Amino acid sequence: MKRWIAIVVIVLVAMAVPQVLNPSGYWMRVFTLTLLFAAMAQAWNLIGGLANQLSLGHAAFFGIGAYTSTILLLKFGISPWIGMFAAGALGGLAALVIAVPTMRLQGHYFALATLAFGEVARVIANVWTSLTGGPGGLSVPFVPPSFAAYSFKQLLPHAYIALVALIIVTVIFEVIRRGAMGYRLRAIRENAAAAEVIGIDTTKVKLQTAVISGVLTAMLGTLFAQVAVFFDPDTAFSAASISIRVALIAIIGGVGTAVGPILGAFFIVPIEELMNDLFSSGAAGLSQLIFGVILIVVILWRPRGLVTIFEALRARLQGRGAQS
Amino acid sequence: MSFIQAILDGLLVGGVYAVISIGLTLVYGVMGIVNFAQAEFLMIGMFVSWFAWAYLGLDPVLAAPLSFAVAFALGWVVQGQLISRVLKALSVAQIFLTVGLMIVLENGALLAFGSQFRSVTTPYQTMSLSLGSLFISVPYLIAFAMSLACGVALWWFMRTSWFGRAMRATAQNPMAAQLMGIDTALMYKLAFALGVGLTAFGGAVVLPYVTVFPQVGGQFVVLMFTVVVLGGLGSVAGAVVGGLAVGVIQALSALFFPIQLQNLVLFLVFIVVLAVRPQGLVGAS
Repeated sequence: MKRWIAIVVIVLVAMAVPQVLNPSGYWMRVFTLTLLFAAMAQAWNLIGGLANQLSLGHAAFFGIGAYTSTILLLKFGISPWIGMFAAGALGGLAALVIAVPTMRLQGHYFALATLAFGEVARVIANVWTSLTGGPGGLSVPFVPPSFAAYSFKQLLPHAYIALVALIIVTVIFEVIRRGAMGYRLRAIRENAAAAEVIGIDTTKVKLQTAVISGVLTAMLGTLFAQVAVFFDPDTAFSAASISIRVALIAIIGGVGTAVGPILGAFFIVPIEELMNDLFSSGAAGLSQLIFGVILIVVILWRPRGLVTIFEALRARLQGRGAQS
Repeated sequence: MSFIQAILDGLLVGGVYAVISIGLTLVYGVMGIVNFAQAEFLMIGMFVSWFAWAYLGLDPVLAAPLSFAVAFALGWVVQGQLISRVLKALSVAQIFLTVGLMIVLENGALLAFGSQFRSVTTPYQTMSLSLGSLFISVPYLIAFAMSLACGVALWWFMRTSWFGRAMRATAQNPMAAQLMGIDTALMYKLAFALGVGLTAFGGAVVLPYVTVFPQVGGQFVVLMFTVVVLGGLGSVAGAVVGGLAVGVIQALSALFFPIQLQNLVLFLVFIVVLAVRPQGLVGAS
């Protein structure tokens, strides 16, 4: 009960925040990006957290999503709302292609293989100029503003769309985590051989998870393209600013928990945006340097993520309550 | 003929890849940690060598021991202060600690040295020896010779010195090694420092034909991983075979594919090897 009240309050606050921000201002942008990255980290959390397969290649799905909807809009005038589902289908397909040869790999090996896959996607996007426009990038064309065309005068609607997306992805995560699939994934994570013995088709479960994660990430790529308006292969398929960042957000927040990616995104994205803003003119690299230091500190101090701070706090409060 | 020429070039360049990657595989072999920041030490080695060339007038290849020493010292500190804390942690913490280190080193260099490209000029830069109808590029040959010398020195160190044996013992069974009176924490420091030092050494010897800038590590990171995975993570002999193989694959793919696709071939080889034989081509199954 208490839990539900907390969730309702947080959602209401999140809905109220865009109302007090400048509808097309800087902070609206930061808020929207934070929600989008939280949703992406949550999608990563399915495969990275529940299945414990640490993917460093999610930029592949993200980039496919951004490119699919934008190319459909540019070449055929198809609304990104529909393009988003095409993006999801292709993202799922890509996840299947990547997962089949790599699913048996664990830990470091899986991370390395997915990193290479992300880079393959980036190289292909750079080279396949006739489809993607190559290194020059793509601009989302201007269409008269309307909801059906997914085109708005202000950033405000994008913030609400991002919020809805985050809620949907989080609900999917929780449903899977609590459902039969979550139990299977946990069994595989704890002991894959034992899971196999009690009749879990480990390969199938991991493949399903990877595909769901890929579909969601690609669809979020479409949302991102609509906010960013311009992107090129090196940003949309970036190992550092997409694949690694998404994984980091989930890990810093608390991997395998529904709260973790949201906490991580609200911690990292605003700090990063602020530092980029403060230092971009002064010294190149400083904001990323500080980002790296924060990352190292959090991993050494809270290897299971910031979410453990709250757990520790709650434990202390309850301990005190029991004493008094 | 261009085919044989490509194989020759590939072998020469591959020798350097071997030394660069031995560092990575050594760290994994002794500690079980994949250092995602390894390529940044290559960048550091290149910068040390470049500054030695620019301000001390030292030939970049002769500055290689200096690069080794700087990276060795840095690696010692990094292992003692950071990596040692996650040796028993989850692989999530291990992977992302080194990813954090990678971000810090790359952007630290960007902050300190700026984003411009730097290269050296040496009297032998454009020289080549002819061998019948084949040409041997002198900078490639020097880099290869230096790598070979470095590899032999490492081999000798690991085989004959007390430290080398103690390190191998620690890799095999840290508990037993400790019971035999080996300071395993010291061995881990030594292994990490030696590993990143070797990679930095490789950075210095390639400087006559590779331009240095803060993000240069990114160009080598997948390459290094391909080398060690081809040879089997943790296997030093495997890294030598893997390095030569990757050099040849690169040179041959340059012959048949446009330059933009050169890395693609490497990535695909990497993925196929991981999927089919994750223990490496020379490793035991």
